[in-house]
Amino acid sequence: MTQNYRLKDIGRIDRNHEISFIFNGKKYFGYKGDTLASALLANGVHLIARSFKYHRPRGILAAGVDDPSAKVQLIKDGYSEPNINLTEFELVEGLELQSQNCWPSVSVDVGEINNLLNRFFPAGFYYKTFMWPKSFWYSIYEPFIRKAAGFGVASLDPDPDRYEHQYEHCDVLVVGSGPSGLSSALAAAKNGARVILAEDKPRFGGSLLTDEVTIGNKKGEEWVDDVISELKSMPNVIIKSRSQVFGYYDHNMLVMFERKRDHLQDPAKFTPREKLWYIRAKEVIISTGSIERPLVFANNDRPGIMLASAAKEYLKVYGVAVGKKPLIFTNNDSAYETAIEFKNNGIQPTIVDTRASSENQLVNEAQKMGIDILFENGIANTSGHLKVKSATVGKLNNEKNSFTNLQKIDCDCICVSGNWTPTVHLASQSGNKLKFDEESDTFLPNQSRQQETVVGAANGSFTLKESLDEGFEQGFKISSKITNKNNKTNAPISDEKSLGKHDKFWCMPLPEGKHYKRFVDFQNDVAVSDIELAVREGFRSIEHVKRYTTLGMATDQGKTSNLNGLQLVSNIEKKIVPEVGHTTFRPPYTSVTIGTIIGREVSKYYRATRKSPMHEWHERNNAVFVDAGLWLRPRYYKHGNETLQEAAKREAANVRKNVGICDVTSLGKIDIKGPDSAEFLNRVYTNAWLKLPVGKARYGVMLREDGMVFDDGTTTRISENHFHMTTTTAQAANVLSHLEYYLQIVWPELEVNVLSTTEQWAGAAIAGPKSRELLSKLFPNEDISNEGLPFMGYREFKFFDTTARVFRISFSGELAYEVNVMSDFGEFMWDKIIEAGEGLGIQPYGTEALSTLRIEMGHVAGSEIDGRLISYDLALDGMLSKKKDFIGKRSLNRVAFNDENRERIVGIVPIDKKTSIPEGSYIVEDPNAAFPIPKLGHVSASCWSVERNNPFSLAIIKNGKNRKGEKLFAVSPVKNMSIPVEVVSQHYVDPDGERVRS
Amino acid sequence: MKKYSVFSLIKNALSHHQNWDVAWRDPEPKKEYEVIIIGGGGHGLATAYYLAKNFNIRNVAILEKGWIGGGNVGRNTTILRSNYMYNANNLFYEEGMKMWRNLSQELNYNVMYSPRNILNLAHSDAQMNAYSRRGNSMRLNGIDAQLLYREDIKKIIPFADFSSNCRFPIFGALRQPAGGTARHDAVAWGYARGADDLGVDIIQNCEVTGFDVNNGKIQGVQTSRGNIKTKKIGLCVAGSTSLLAEKLNMTLPIEAHVLQACVSEPIKPLLDQVVTFGAGHFYCSQSDKGEMVMGGDLDGYNSYAQRGNLPTIQHVLTEGVALFPNLSRLKILRTWGGIMDMSMDTSPIIDKTHIDGLYLNCGWCYGGFKATPVSGLTFAHTIAKDEVHELNAPFRLDRFHTGHLIDEKGIGTKTWIS
Amino acid sequence: MLEIKCPYCGKRSQNEFAYGGDATVKRPELNKEVPDEEWDTFVYYRKNPRGNHLELWHHISGCRQWFKAKRNTATHEIIDTFELSDDIGDAS
Repeated sequence: MTQNYRLKDIGRIDRNHEISFIFNGKKYFGYKGDTLASALLANGVHLIARSFKYHRPRGILAAGVDDPSAKVQLIKDGYSEPNINLTEFELVEGLELQSQNCWPSVSVDVGEINNLLNRFFPAGFYYKTFMWPKSFWYSIYEPFIRKAAGFGVASLDPDPDRYEHQYEHCDVLVVGSGPSGLSSALAAAKNGARVILAEDKPRFGGSLLTDEVTIGNKKGEEWVDDVISELKSMPNVIIKSRSQVFGYYDHNMLVMFERKRDHLQDPAKFTPREKLWYIRAKEVIISTGSIERPLVFANNDRPGIMLASAAKEYLKVYGVAVGKKPLIFTNNDSAYETAIEFKNNGIQPTIVDTRASSENQLVNEAQKMGIDILFENGIANTSGHLKVKSATVGKLNNEKNSFTNLQKIDCDCICVSGNWTPTVHLASQSGNKLKFDEESDTFLPNQSRQQETVVGAANGSFTLKESLDEGFEQGFKISSKITNKNNKTNAPISDEKSLGKHDKFWCMPLPEGKHYKRFVDFQNDVAVSDIELAVREGFRSIEHVKRYTTLGMATDQGKTSNLNGLQLVSNIEKKIVPEVGHTTFRPPYTSVTIGTIIGREVSKYYRATRKSPMHEWHERNNAVFVDAGLWLRPRYYKHGNETLQEAAKREAANVRKNVGICDVTSLGKIDIKGPDSAEFLNRVYTNAWLKLPVGKARYGVMLREDGMVFDDGTTTRISENHFHMTTTTAQAANVLSHLEYYLQIVWPELEVNVLSTTEQWAGAAIAGPKSRELLSKLFPNEDISNEGLPFMGYREFKFFDTTARVFRISFSGELAYEVNVMSDFGEFMWDKIIEAGEGLGIQPYGTEALSTLRIEMGHVAGSEIDGRLISYDLALDGMLSKKKDFIGKRSLNRVAFNDENRERIVGIVPIDKKTSIPEGSYIVEDPNAAFPIPKLGHVSASCWSVERNNPFSLAIIKNGKNRKGEKLFAVSPVKNMSIPVEVVSQHYVDPDGERVRS
Repeated sequence: MKKYSVFSLIKNALSHHQNWDVAWRDPEPKKEYEVIIIGGGGHGLATAYYLAKNFNIRNVAILEKGWIGGGNVGRNTTILRSNYMYNANNLFYEEGMKMWRNLSQELNYNVMYSPRNILNLAHSDAQMNAYSRRGNSMRLNGIDAQLLYREDIKKIIPFADFSSNCRFPIFGALRQPAGGTARHDAVAWGYARGADDLGVDIIQNCEVTGFDVNNGKIQGVQTSRGNIKTKKIGLCVAGSTSLLAEKLNMTLPIEAHVLQACVSEPIKPLLDQVVTFGAGHFYCSQSDKGEMVMGGDLDGYNSYAQRGNLPTIQHVLTEGVALFPNLSRLKILRTWGGIMDMSMDTSPIIDKTHIDGLYLNCGWCYGGFKATPVSGLTFAHTIAKDEVHELNAPFRLDRFHTGHLIDEKGIGTKTWIS
Repeated sequence: MLEIKCPYCGKRSQNEFAYGGDATVKRPELNKEVPDEEWDTFVYYRKNPRGNHLELWHHISGCRQWFKAKRNTATHEIIDTFELSDDIGDAS
């Protein structure tokens, strides 16, 4: 087939560049510059898809984003993608299209049985049935409904394309490049404003591409080309086609997506598919034009029935006649332009006009050209299964509620026009409360809420003159506010054909005694009868009608159906339209690719990865990493075929026996300076801090004001007014904000400054009985004896060309030190420690061994400090100072916090000394009790005690204080385990803490 | 009430659906009611239904400022579950789950309860342990829950990111088989029709402007449609609770925040479960219409605007694609926002108040939809008997003084951090 | 995305800031007897108006200063921002 509907000598396509494509297995040709829709129409293909509910044949209604039905599955470069809009996607080589929502094919679709039975499937039918027998809902009805849902098929493969983001500020953002948009942009740019002009289509000009007008003695489209060249030459202007501004958010943040790749035949390798623009505009000019309203009549959904303006666009921009026997059906003058355009191209149209007469220029011209016009007539019905074949046209009576003189008119397309709906979405999203305009029968923007100004057809200014005048005036006025300049550009003189009044009648009656469907929402199959039913059943709010019938909830978001729907409700309810109101316009204006919204934060770049300066050493030494927030920490260092448990045991045992080294860089570090630092810490921590000597560290616990334990760590007095605080890895950022909150807001009188130094210091913990020996090799000239550097002592040592901070602190419960050097020296320090430890049996240990060591010592960590427990529960109540106030103290006298039976941390050992207790188990007295089985508490952390060589766990259980020696059960039903256990002390190893002091 | 069934559907089809009754009446407010429920959302409608059904209190009015079902019951992501850790929540929501199973039959309105499994994905051993704990808590209460592992998940959602490039690989999941979804609007409409049939007056476009309180006792309400007398008022206006409480000089441990959700264009069945992403706050299911329904974080500042901003949606979708890389190619069709009553311990409040005859149902955070039946039941009980039901006893307001908090997340009072 | 004027740095996009909630919450003084009700109100009870709200923001990816903003919770409009020491009275 070779483009039988392509006209000669008209259109803006590149006829020297033929492109082939496949639709439903058949090869077709189009030209560069076509959309998929225009290319198919050039080949006479109207049947595209099936509707959602009734599987009725659907064609192409529009020529832009307003099209409700013409969506296909697209396969390109082996990637299959659903719901591609034919009216937007541009033709390139290598595309295969398939109809959606039909089987076995779009012309023979089994699902069409729903249409034959459509009287049984009115709006909301599913709420009324499928309830009996009950089990059938779960086994038959619902699976069937779900299977029938949806249009295209999502690929299971990751998106192969990339997307980018750009942030931009401008003085004036102009949305839409029709006459009002171009003139606003030009006027603002010439007045010195930084302008961004965005057009969603590939070509600039909007209605000027299809209207027969002159501006300043030029044809409309020539004027467009001149203005665009002028704007392109100005350094203060960014102009973008294929760019849809889809959201107007708070504080004048607008968001736009730009299509950058799909329309290119051979894009450069890293060309993003789309780019998302976040645009902060000082002023926004909304010149988004208007969308033609369909007329509603019996069987108005057949392929071949489309908007008159779309037919004109296919003619003038793409050189495509959408039919050779067109019927034009209108209630206004604008559709006459389409008829005249057909006639100019040698095609004889017939016009059906609901009005009694119209005396306008266009009508007269049409009459002079010999076009048949049937005034006071309407379409009573249509025929043609897969494409419209004829229309039954009848004379409307005075009340316009019935037809007489029915006649059948053969046609191969029907071009309908029910007048124009301004595209007010962005204004409404900005917060502009729309007002109803009686004359144009539409909602128009009212008072601006943010910095938006609406011009042209979007503002109800439907003539070219009004649009240009408004555009030039507003472009100048708005830019002057910003630039304080006075370079005014006057609107050129224009010439257009005048338009008369439209007929506020758009919903045709049904032929006597017939119950044909008259569709309002074409994709979701919402007909007049559905809306009538909804109102009859009491769904009277427009939002109820929308939800009950699904009107306007399809992928086109009701661009062509919402106004018809709410006017129908107003007719039925005999209310004026403003009383019915409208549903909310929500972003996005058109559907946006998820990848575009995301940009580059995909796959392993989903979140940043934080690595310590020693990371590469860990990698070289077979570390297996674990995510700790954004940090990657060595979990264990794998020797041969070791499992995690084997490695953890080996590493932990080596710490207990020899010496180990652990990377602790990820711990939060906060520098605290100022004369009131000690006082501040005294308020932040539960224990006393005023008397901490210089050169000493102390363990501290901080609470939130609600009394819950927030974080713990050691803080060291570096000098009189200088402290070094450590936090857990998880809470580092929150603790800093917490400290700043109190310093800046609550106690501004304290002279203290805090600063995160987490990334400034690389940290290594050296733990084990041989750690002192190791340290002596590292710092041969320093006194590191138990007296020189006692437990909780701190010293600064020279370390080659830098300084090392050495803390004698211990999380493992062994004699241990923590060495910090500036990050750049981290790997150097690590190498030196390993070197010094060689003869001492040093081994690196990861977080798993670290856990083992701390658990058997009974030290709490993140699995206990979970934001839900108080100091008592964690046996940290001994650290609650009675002598001073601190954050959260006042909350501690609540009834529940002083309950005798409160949970408290204990140790748990399996009675068989063999079975490891899974973390997350519950402790119960009787695992066989009736549901709900009473719980005593849960197991927070488990390990294999390397010291005692049997499993050991920490648990937090009711009345834990008095349960030592009790025999209970640890149960984990999700792991099918029930383990007899005995309650022991949480301090399973070295309960008196002798080793750390040795 | 004429019963809905396939037979009534056929019968009405033959008369071209001209003879259906209204689903609920549109009455004028009477001068006085025994109980007035403020708020025609899911919880308010359900409360009125159970007052009439279980306690035979039928002289009840629901006063709705706008249109019924227009608040959060019509704006949520329709997820039903009871996979909580603490017994208070666990047992309460589980009673709700039992009610969901029979709700369509109970109301003679198909609410499309779809027990399709909810999977809470875990991305570390620590998270697996946390989910074990939750699952164990559920199992000890007699609620089905299972722990799944990476290989199991691969079979269920093979299009999730199992590649070596994944930032936070999937370790496993907690599965609640009974977890799923229901059709949100149908829940509101089903309860409305049921309550109306039992004599409850549903009064829309009726804004409460003030309260009549005398000697610490409720006497009535002032509304945009006149004053109405009553001795008992149930406040069921999550999202606006603080605003009405203010008219009673009450301050509450609640902040209003906007939570956004979004749907993709409809696609053929892809995801058969409800899935939550554990390395972020993304949750997702596919509607019966084929749309992927997705949600995540709060916008993070007090708001009564039912609109949010794009960065939150961007954040949510980033998490979505981190989980399901193929989602990148789908298109977002619609985004919207709802106002959450964020309570200070993330659990609801259903209680009496210091004012005699004033009852409070609020603080639902993100979780109110699934509670609709059980919230209605227990609140109706609280109002009818003037005492809390065993199931809502833990949700008393005084827990913010006694310290019996139910904080599942352990984040404390910064409700906007999730 | 909101645009927030940090009193120290100027206008920046919201993603540089962290929210801090009701700015009228005042912590009772240390070492002072506080009635239960006053304390619990401080910890849990919040002003939650529809309309102007006085709230805290933290310029977390900037100067790390906390400051106050008067913002309309119904429209998200920020009326103004203030240094902590500015006494601006009631929010409405």
